[in-house]
Amino acid sequence: MALIAPVRPLRVSRLQAALAVVLAVAGFLAVTQIRNELLIRQQLRVPSQRLEELGFMLREMERSRGAMEAQIERMRGRLHAYEQAAAQGRAQLEALGRQLETFRAQAGHVPLTGPGVVVELNDSPFPLRPGDDPNTVILHYTDLQGVLNELWASGAEAVAVNGERMITTTGLNCVGTTIICNAKRIAPPYHVTAIGDTDQMARHLGRPDGVLAGLRSFGFPVKVTKADRLTVPVYRGSYRFTHAKPAAPEP
Amino acid sequence: MWLPVAGLILGIILGFLFSVEIPLGVVKYTAIAILAALDTILGGLRAQLEERFDLSIFITGFFANTFFAALLTAIGDLLGVDIYLGAVIAFSIRIFSNVGFIRRDLLEHYWRGLRQRGAAATAGPRP
Repeated sequence: MALIAPVRPLRVSRLQAALAVVLAVAGFLAVTQIRNELLIRQQLRVPSQRLEELGFMLREMERSRGAMEAQIERMRGRLHAYEQAAAQGRAQLEALGRQLETFRAQAGHVPLTGPGVVVELNDSPFPLRPGDDPNTVILHYTDLQGVLNELWASGAEAVAVNGERMITTTGLNCVGTTIICNAKRIAPPYHVTAIGDTDQMARHLGRPDGVLAGLRSFGFPVKVTKADRLTVPVYRGSYRFTHAKPAAPEP
Repeated sequence: MWLPVAGLILGIILGFLFSVEIPLGVVKYTAIAILAALDTILGGLRAQLEERFDLSIFITGFFANTFFAALLTAIGDLLGVDIYLGAVIAFSIRIFSNVGFIRRDLLEHYWRGLRQRGAAATAGPRP
């Protein structure tokens, strides 16, 4: 009241009462509004003016999330397909590797070890009498070839003669009294090492109408030994395929 | 003057006591309604100081201003135009001018009171 320092007294208190009521309502409203605004800011971290922006961004995020989830599905599908292809590729590679190993073994590329038999042959110790056919006391390359043939026929997987590996293109040659094998001269005594089914090979070698039996009957020393662990060396010759070419598969 | 102030304080206290939650979509309207209410109150205060206070104008003005401010904001939202900005500016201008007038009225009262007391002092006791 002192601030107004009245010249004329102010209006009747009825108006002041009205003003009081209105101010009460306004005060209540203002406080409520302020509290709500602060609550919004505290919960959402944006003032209420940015609520529309917030809603817009939320819808944008939801939409792009849907797109991303679809992308994840696609990527997973592709990854699965790649993994399957890789597994198949690996399987194929492994199969190829095994095939390669077999071929290498057959081509004499690797030294092999395993159970088998050793056949020892030598020239006949009988002295040569003048007038006798030398062929009866000298071991011929055909005899050796016969032994090898019997070994292959009875399941030998790798054969070596005097340290020379026999492969598919190895042939024994005869020069005078020497046998040439893999372009190398070999001389008696002949040690034939064969890796395979020991019993089967020994049975086949020892049959009464076999090559060894024939040699024995002529007096050639023949010895067949079974062994658990034999080694055949690697083929040291060259491979030549100047005339043979891969043929188309037969229909 | 104490009654209106007491009323204001009462309203504030009630606002703290009763926590009314305003839904998020309506918050903008209540904000502009409060601005309109503030403008009406200051207008009423100025009218009282200038001795031309009319209760009916005041009361109707209070409710009408509040309602029309909210209505304008709603229409603006429907149209896609931020009309409530115009209402904010208009009410702010009125509030500032009313505050200015109230300040001048208060000062005039004060100076008139000083002058009159001074005149009364120099004029001597009343015959």
